[in-house]
Amino acid sequence: MESSDSNDKGSIDHSEAQRRSQLDRLEREEAFYHFVNNLNEEDYRLMRDNNLLGTPGEITEEELMRRLHQVKEGPPQQNGDENRGAESTEDVSNRDSIIDWLNSVRQTGNTTRSGQRGNQSWRAVSRTNPNSGDFRFSLEINVNRNNGNPNPEAENEPSVEPSNGEDLENSQSDIETPRSESPSVRQPGSDRSTSEELATEEVSPLRGQRRARSRSPEQRRTRARTDRSRSPINPASETPRRSHHNMPSQTLDHSLVNESEGSSRTRQHVTLRQHTMGTEMASENAILFSTPETRPAPPVLGSSETNGSSESTVPGQRPPTIVLDLQVRRVRPGEYRQRDSIANRTRSRSQTPNNTVTYESERGGLRRTFSRSERAGVRTYVSTIRIPIRRIINTGFNETTSVAIQTILRQIMTGFGELNYYMYSDGDADPSGPTPNQNVDSPDLQNGGDGGGSSSRSESTEGSSGEVYESNNEGGSTSGARREGRNTRGSVTFEESGSLPFLSLAQFFLLNEDDDDQPRGLTKEQIDNLAWRNFGESDALKTCSVCITEYTEGNKLRKLPCSHEYHVHCIDRWLSENSTCPICRRAVLASGNRESVV
Amino acid sequence: MQRASRLKREVLLMTTEPPPGITCWQNTNRMDDLRAQILGSVNTPYEKGVFNLEVVVPERYPFEPPKIRFLTPIYHPNIDSAGRICLDILKLPPKGAWRPSLNISTLLTSIQLLMSEPNPDDPLMADISSEYKYNKEVFLRNAKQWTEKYASQQGRASKTPDEEVTQGEATIAKESALSQKRKRNDISRKGKKPCLDS
Repeated sequence: MESSDSNDKGSIDHSEAQRRSQLDRLEREEAFYHFVNNLNEEDYRLMRDNNLLGTPGEITEEELMRRLHQVKEGPPQQNGDENRGAESTEDVSNRDSIIDWLNSVRQTGNTTRSGQRGNQSWRAVSRTNPNSGDFRFSLEINVNRNNGNPNPEAENEPSVEPSNGEDLENSQSDIETPRSESPSVRQPGSDRSTSEELATEEVSPLRGQRRARSRSPEQRRTRARTDRSRSPINPASETPRRSHHNMPSQTLDHSLVNESEGSSRTRQHVTLRQHTMGTEMASENAILFSTPETRPAPPVLGSSETNGSSESTVPGQRPPTIVLDLQVRRVRPGEYRQRDSIANRTRSRSQTPNNTVTYESERGGLRRTFSRSERAGVRTYVSTIRIPIRRIINTGFNETTSVAIQTILRQIMTGFGELNYYMYSDGDADPSGPTPNQNVDSPDLQNGGDGGGSSSRSESTEGSSGEVYESNNEGGSTSGARREGRNTRGSVTFEESGSLPFLSLAQFFLLNEDDDDQPRGLTKEQIDNLAWRNFGESDALKTCSVCITEYTEGNKLRKLPCSHEYHVHCIDRWLSENSTCPICRRAVLASGNRESVV
Repeated sequence: MQRASRLKREVLLMTTEPPPGITCWQNTNRMDDLRAQILGSVNTPYEKGVFNLEVVVPERYPFEPPKIRFLTPIYHPNIDSAGRICLDILKLPPKGAWRPSLNISTLLTSIQLLMSEPNPDDPLMADISSEYKYNKEVFLRNAKQWTEKYASQQGRASKTPDEEVTQGEATIAKESALSQKRKRNDISRKGKKPCLDS
C-alpha cells in the first residue's frame, strides 16, 4: 500500500479517492460477513443456491436483505440478473456475446434469448439441470421468405420475439399472452405433444407459446421425458416410440392450423436435434451432434393431396422454421458402452425391414456417414460426423476455434446443405431412386452426400422419423456429429454459415467439452453434508486461508474431512468448482462417493 | 469473492515482508493490476537480471489464480516469448494446481524457483528446452546474453558500485532504483527505501 502510494505521488487525489472507495468497500465487506454470519443455515443455503450472495464489498447489506426477503417470499427467481443482462436481442452476429451468454447459462441454468438477423430470426431457450449437469438447449431459427406472406412474419418476429424474451424469464403467468395469438388451434397440439414438443411448437405463430411453455412445469416435464427418451442408455427402444408420438401430434397440429389459417400455405419445419454427449472419462470425450431435421407434413394433409398438388403448394410460402434442440449429457463410460451395443442393434434392426443406404467417407480425421432408410413410407436421413474430440482439444484453444471448429462447422453446414439438397431433389422427382436393401458401405463416396440425386421421396413419406444410431467401435474415444434428417421440404437458405447462432453454439460446446474433461466441483448436497460449526472465542486464533481473514466470533466455519477449516462462504464457493482441500489438496469426498467428479 | 480485502492484505504483506528478491506493487490505481519484479538468483544465468512481471488479478480471485507473465524477455524453457509461464500452480485444477491458499507472494516465489530450476520435461519453448537438456553450455550462454540484453540494470538505472557488494542489499537497492525509475524519476532512493522496508 504504502509503496504504491508513494509511487503515485503525482496523483494524490486519485489515491485519496481510491483509499476512500476501498474503505467503503471494506465496510461493505464487513457488513457482508456480518450478514452471512447472521444467516441461519437454511437462509444461507437459499441465498447461496440462488446465487444471491453477490460479492463482498460490492453488495450492500440492504441489498442482501432485500434479496433474502425476495427469495423467501416469491418463487426463487433464479438467474434473474444474469439473464437480464444477457437477454438483449438481435446480435446473432456477435458470436462472443452468444458464447458469453451460453457460459452464463451453463452456470446459472435457464435462459432465453432471441434475435433477428436478415431474414432469419432466432430464439434460444436453454435449461440446465443443476444436479446432473445435463444441459439442454433448443434453438429455433425462423427463416422469413418474403415471397409468400410477409405479414405474418412482420407480426410474429418483431413483436412476439422480444417480448417473450422478457416474459419468459420470470413467469409462467405470461404464457397466456403469446398463446392468445394462436388461440385454440394450437392448444390441442401442444397439449398432446408430450413427447415431441418441438414438433408442435416450431410453427412460427406459436413461438411465443412455445417459448413461454419452455419455462412452464409442463415443459419441464416434457423435456425431461425427451431427455429420457434420448438417454444413451436406451436410445433404441425409445426412439421409435418418440417418432410415433411425433406423427400424430404433428398431424393434428398441422391440420388444425391449416383449417384455421387456410391451406394455401405450406408450413415448413425443420427440427434439428443436437445431442451432445461428453463422456466423463478423460480418454473418452465425445461430442455428438445430432441434428434431425423434421418437416412435419402431416399425413392427413398429405393423404388429401396427390403428389402433384403438394408440389403446387409452393414451398416457402410459410416461413420455414428450424428448431435445433441440443442436449449435453454427461455420459459415464459404462453407459457409453452400453449405448454402443444398443446402437448396433438398432442399426441392424433397421436395416432389414427398411431400405437403408449408408455411405461412409473418411476425410481429414472426420468420419462421415450418411444413410437413408425407408420404412412404411417414411424416409429417414441420417448424417453422422464423427470427430475425435481429443484431437481437437489437444490442439489448444486457438487452433480449436480457428481450424478444427471451422472444419467441423463446415462439415455440419455441408451436411445441412446436403439434406436440403435431398429434400429438394426429392420434391422434384417422383419416387424413383434406388432403394437398396442392405447397408452399403462405400468409403469411396465422398461426404456420403453423393447419393443425393438418386434419392427420392414423395409427399406422403413425410411426418415421422426413425433414427439410426451409429455404433462407435472405438468405445467413445471418438465423437460424432450426428444429423438425422427426417423430412424437410422446401429449402432453408442461410445467408451464410457464420450467421447461424448454432455455429457459435457448436463452437461453444466443443470448447466446453474441455471443461467436461475436468473434475467438477461438489454438488450442493455434498457440500451441505460437510460439517460446519460456529467459531467460538475459545478456539485458537485461526485464519481462513481463502480470504486470509482471521475468524471472528460467530463466523461459520466448515470443516473438511482433512480437518482444515474455512469460512463457509469461502469454501463453499471453492468446492462448487473444485473437489480438493485448498490447503492439503486432499479430495474432499472419498472417490467412491463422488458422483460427477472424475 | 474476497478479492478486495484479500488483495489489500496481500499487497500490504508483500510490502512489509517481501520475499527475498521479489517486489510487488500496484501498477496503477487499479487494485487488480499489479507489477512485480524478480531478481535473478545467484549462480543462475539470470543473475543480476531484474525481471518485470505483470500480475493481473481476476475477478474471481482467489478462486482463480492470478494471471502472471513476464514483461522482461527471458530465455527459459518454460517461459515463452510472450512471457507466459508454464507452471502448474498458475492454472486451475485439475490441469493446474492453483488453490486459494496460495497467494501472489508464493506464486512469485515459485516463479523465482522455476527460473533457477527449469523444467525441461514440460517445455513451453521446445528449442530452449532441448538446448537446456542436451547443450547446457549454449543454453547458459544464451540465457546470460538475454539477461544482459533485456534484464540488466545497466543503462536502465544508474548503478553505484556499492550496490553490487552483496546480493541481499543489491536486491533492495536495485528494486528501489528501478521502481523509482519507472514511477517517479525525481525522488531520491533514500526516500524510497524506508517505504519498502516499513
